[in-house]
Amino acid sequence: MFRLRTNSTDPVTFSFEGHEFTASRGDTVAAALLGSGVFIFRNSAVSSTPRAPFCMIGNCYECFVQVEAMGIVQACLTEVTEGMQITKLSNSIDEHGMDIKEVSKE
Amino acid sequence: MTTQLPLCDVAVIGAGPAGLTAACELAESGRNVVVLDEQGAPGGQIYKGVEKVFADRPQDIGPLGREYAAGKALMSRFRQSGAHYQPGVSVWQITSDQEPELALGLIENGLARMLYPKHLILATGAMERPTPFEGWTLPGVMTVGAAQTLLKSSRLLPEDDVVLAGTGPLLYLYAMQLKKFGIRPQAILDTGPPLSLRASLLGLRALMTCPKAMFQGMRWLWSAAVKMNLIRGVDLLKAQGENHLRSVSFEVGGHRHELSTSLLLVHDGVIPNTWLSMSAGIKHHFNEIQDCWVPQIQGAGLTSRDCISIVGDAASIGGAEVAMLQGERVAREVDAYLEDHQRSETLIESWVLRRQRWMRSFIDEAFPSTAQFQLPENDIVVCRCEEVTAGEIRTVTERGCMGPNQGKAFTRCGMGPCMGRKCGLTVSRLMAQVRGVSVQEVGHYRIRSPIRPITVGQLADMESSLNGDNQSLLSADSS
Repeated sequence: MFRLRTNSTDPVTFSFEGHEFTASRGDTVAAALLGSGVFIFRNSAVSSTPRAPFCMIGNCYECFVQVEAMGIVQACLTEVTEGMQITKLSNSIDEHGMDIKEVSKE
Repeated sequence: MTTQLPLCDVAVIGAGPAGLTAACELAESGRNVVVLDEQGAPGGQIYKGVEKVFADRPQDIGPLGREYAAGKALMSRFRQSGAHYQPGVSVWQITSDQEPELALGLIENGLARMLYPKHLILATGAMERPTPFEGWTLPGVMTVGAAQTLLKSSRLLPEDDVVLAGTGPLLYLYAMQLKKFGIRPQAILDTGPPLSLRASLLGLRALMTCPKAMFQGMRWLWSAAVKMNLIRGVDLLKAQGENHLRSVSFEVGGHRHELSTSLLLVHDGVIPNTWLSMSAGIKHHFNEIQDCWVPQIQGAGLTSRDCISIVGDAASIGGAEVAMLQGERVAREVDAYLEDHQRSETLIESWVLRRQRWMRSFIDEAFPSTAQFQLPENDIVVCRCEEVTAGEIRTVTERGCMGPNQGKAFTRCGMGPCMGRKCGLTVSRLMAQVRGVSVQEVGHYRIRSPIRPITVGQLADMESSLNGDNQSLLSADSS
């Protein structure tokens, strides 16, 4: 997708799903992840299909991620900070072992 | 925890060229101005990160272009204007005209609170027109604007296999910028029609009135056609892959082609970002020529609500230069309104502004929105959040669903987190097609606050801070 970023004059270390990465200070979480080669940010709530940032200006809400101590944020509008722990959104299917659509039918 | 904003005459939402110019004009003439913006730095989308680029990586100024560099002057003026700048703020509510006073609901640093300006200027800019097609939800498919944002703010460059597709000036501007950064896209797939006679004539007029911009545009097109792999007349674009984009396929003259790629960037022009203005109950109508919803504007930026003005691309797509000229006019209009609370429409339009309008009418004619994206096939997902297809929208409309709001109840279309930002235009068009009426008659989703996500906790915390504010105001009154 995007060229991996190797050198940064002002690096920030963060983690995604437990893996450590480096970004530049001032990067958004979305830019930090895309520049680190992460291209699946979450799975959709309806069909569980993989999703990634689409618009980068806060309108599509595809880039939702979970940030420790912040909760669910839009990765394109959130600045990455030193030591930030980022995870994928806990998916309804993984968490409860059932499909959200099935539940709503009951 | 008191982060009380100063009482202000004017709140400006959006720190792009329109909002900043209006804010500078008003602040310089002594008004108390607050500029609220979701981004961390001023500039909007067009001048995104311009201060940082000048400071940290000046070598990138050249490749990003003269127009981008021009933003630096506006940022310097803004920093000295005396306007109060609040970055990283989301506006989730504008009170309706039924409320006794104008108030804005804000979220800043995770905390919600209210702001009570005397007048509000919306400068929320543009967003890219939705482009529903097969595979557009796959990771690896993004908008051209998104990739350009990553380039400006973080110097992220695509790999050489990148494919660009769609139509509009931004597509070619970005291709040109990539070339200057040493990247030659694998292909540029132009989905637009050949230049019409009318567009050619409008182009000639624009060439005489705005030669600089026209020659520059021609240089971009020429460069794409001669030095890059530009493919015209592209139809039936598809993105393929399982967990991630693997290839792009398309038809040219009835023949299907396929390209392996990990990144497809699409663009189909820009439309006003009307979510805040719609939520504020301002009257809008559908502009058939620009193929988008626009707020009804009188004078420079007056709306159907006396206390709210709209400026820049949020009012009508015109680009940065027009946005700045309009910013000046709207500021004068607002200044006069604050003086006597009489609506006095600014009618005088400068020659420069009229020339820019001629340029825009050429762009509108030369780059119409893409037919494939306008009315997608039945199996295409139009609502990315709730994964509702064009076919489902057509079916409920055939069964008597009259409009997008009722459609929500039947399909959940437009009820996901994006609140219809990525499907609103498409759904109105599809319903208009089935019913055989105009998009205007079908209407648009009713946009209601909160237009940005807010937690119950944030709302509850606000109650206490709100009481605190009121008390301080009361004690100030009694003293």
